[in-house]
Amino acid sequence: MSERFEIGIDELFVVNVARTIKDKTTVFHGVSSPIPMVAMYFAKLTHAKDMVYFGGVSSAVDPNPPFLPPTTNDWVMIQGRTAMVTVDKIFDLAQRGELDRSFFSGAQIDKYGNQNVSMIGTPEKCKIKFPGGAGGCNLSGDCVNYTIWTTRHRAQRKGDRKFFTFVNKCDFVTNVGHVTPYGRREELDLVGNGPDWVVTELGVFDFDEKTRSMRLRYLYPDTTVSDVIDNTEFELIVHPDVRVMEMPSRAEVEVIRRIDPLGVRKLEYPERELSRRFTI
Amino acid sequence: MGVFTDRNKLVTMEKAASMINDGDIVAVGGGLCMREPIALLRELMRQGRRDLHLVGTAHGFDVDFACGGGIVGAVQETHVSFEQDFGLAPNYRRACETGQVKIRENCCNTIIMQLRASEFGIPFVPVRSIKGSDEIKLHPEFKPMIDPFTGKKIVLVPALVPDVAIIHAQKADIHGNLKIMPPYVADVLFIRASKKVIVTAEEIIPEKEMIEEGPTIPYYETTAVVEAPFGAHPTSCYPYYAYDREHISEYIKSAGESAEAFKERYLNKYVYGVKSPEEYLEKIGGKAKRDRLASWKESQERWMELFSYE
Repeated sequence: MSERFEIGIDELFVVNVARTIKDKTTVFHGVSSPIPMVAMYFAKLTHAKDMVYFGGVSSAVDPNPPFLPPTTNDWVMIQGRTAMVTVDKIFDLAQRGELDRSFFSGAQIDKYGNQNVSMIGTPEKCKIKFPGGAGGCNLSGDCVNYTIWTTRHRAQRKGDRKFFTFVNKCDFVTNVGHVTPYGRREELDLVGNGPDWVVTELGVFDFDEKTRSMRLRYLYPDTTVSDVIDNTEFELIVHPDVRVMEMPSRAEVEVIRRIDPLGVRKLEYPERELSRRFTI
Repeated sequence: MGVFTDRNKLVTMEKAASMINDGDIVAVGGGLCMREPIALLRELMRQGRRDLHLVGTAHGFDVDFACGGGIVGAVQETHVSFEQDFGLAPNYRRACETGQVKIRENCCNTIIMQLRASEFGIPFVPVRSIKGSDEIKLHPEFKPMIDPFTGKKIVLVPALVPDVAIIHAQKADIHGNLKIMPPYVADVLFIRASKKVIVTAEEIIPEKEMIEEGPTIPYYETTAVVEAPFGAHPTSCYPYYAYDREHISEYIKSAGESAEAFKERYLNKYVYGVKSPEEYLEKIGGKAKRDRLASWKESQERWMELFSYE
């Protein structure tokens, strides 16, 4: 028996996102994406060695950076590369239906996987301005599939009110899910198939084929079905065979620690989440 | 677009800024916190430029700074933030939420295709993937229609022709040839799509040397050139300097507090009260700062230190 080894939620989360990446596919992460950044680099070094790896806005092909920086547009991200392309070439690939996967998130996400990265309120009377979707609006339509991730599934209580990330309805739809305010994907003649996985700090989800709605598939060792339901505003589908996710190996976690010595994978969490530790 | 044959395009920063007019559509080069023409933005603030309509892809310091400096009327960028390093862009947010700037948020491929239409000299291009998104609400100029060839749904978007592109390059010569090192982000597209191209450069080198190196952009595509060492600070301009987290952290503190605090503690100190590039360098920490930001190339440890968290 090997010794017990402790890992953090940040490491387990990265592995969950990386598991949505298949070998021999074309994969791109966008801006403000520290977790996909670590997950993609990790996948390239472990189970997806023949992935075509586009490392962010820097647009290097198969970079091999000495460490991961807290910004996606820096010379760090072009070190050890095979070649440079310009970012428009990655969008061309997507438009042709040849970009297999990307990663998007939102301050609000609905059951169909639509995401709001733009604003609360209206363009004329904006209450909260978020950064904007960057390439998300186009790529969520064009990518063959994409992964949604958020570290803020847990609803926030303010007085008597509960504020959800997973909402009944987004104030504004920036990135498109399976059923948009303007119709279903196939009615819109989009080339991509939409989100197929959602990774949060409470669980891992796919989409029910019939209703096209989010469905709980995997739990963390320290979360329950009711935790997930309580923190989701819409009615969540629960797979009949929900189980606890498979833990990564010690060797896999060591790869994450080696490629991310600055710990950019931890930047996205509210402080209290980072105290969640698991033994493998 | 535009052909510029002057043998000597070297101008002062003041002259370069005066070539940009109130209300102009301005494509700001670089991206996020890399190689943005910040010294030129400071001069536009000193000259009191107003109502600029900024266009581009994923940006950060430049757009936030320009909003805080009061020179912006509309923003048609696809993303404005300091990523997870410093989070939301405080001045941009405030400007959108108070109605000081008009929100014309766009999406990367849509804006790339619109710039390409300008580059190609055609009036519009079709884009498939705007459908389903509320982004279309921000762009009444986009025309959803049926593709007459396939019968499928498509959206026509018009050519986007910036009045001026402002670009910070590593090297230029006085004839206007440019050496830009990748990542280019959208700079090459901006240059080919815009009516005028104003360039600030870390170094002005002799034309002969430039030709030997091989320019990224040929002289006839640029309108004016300014010598501006440290001209992208506090964003990065490798190989000269990494991005200045210490400075951006100070910036975020005042910008995050209020518009007044930002004016008093940042704009008055680093913009309005500064008479020369030398004085700016002194204010941000002088030679010690310059050496520190250049130390990224000494070792991986030094490079990591520049990104370390306080």
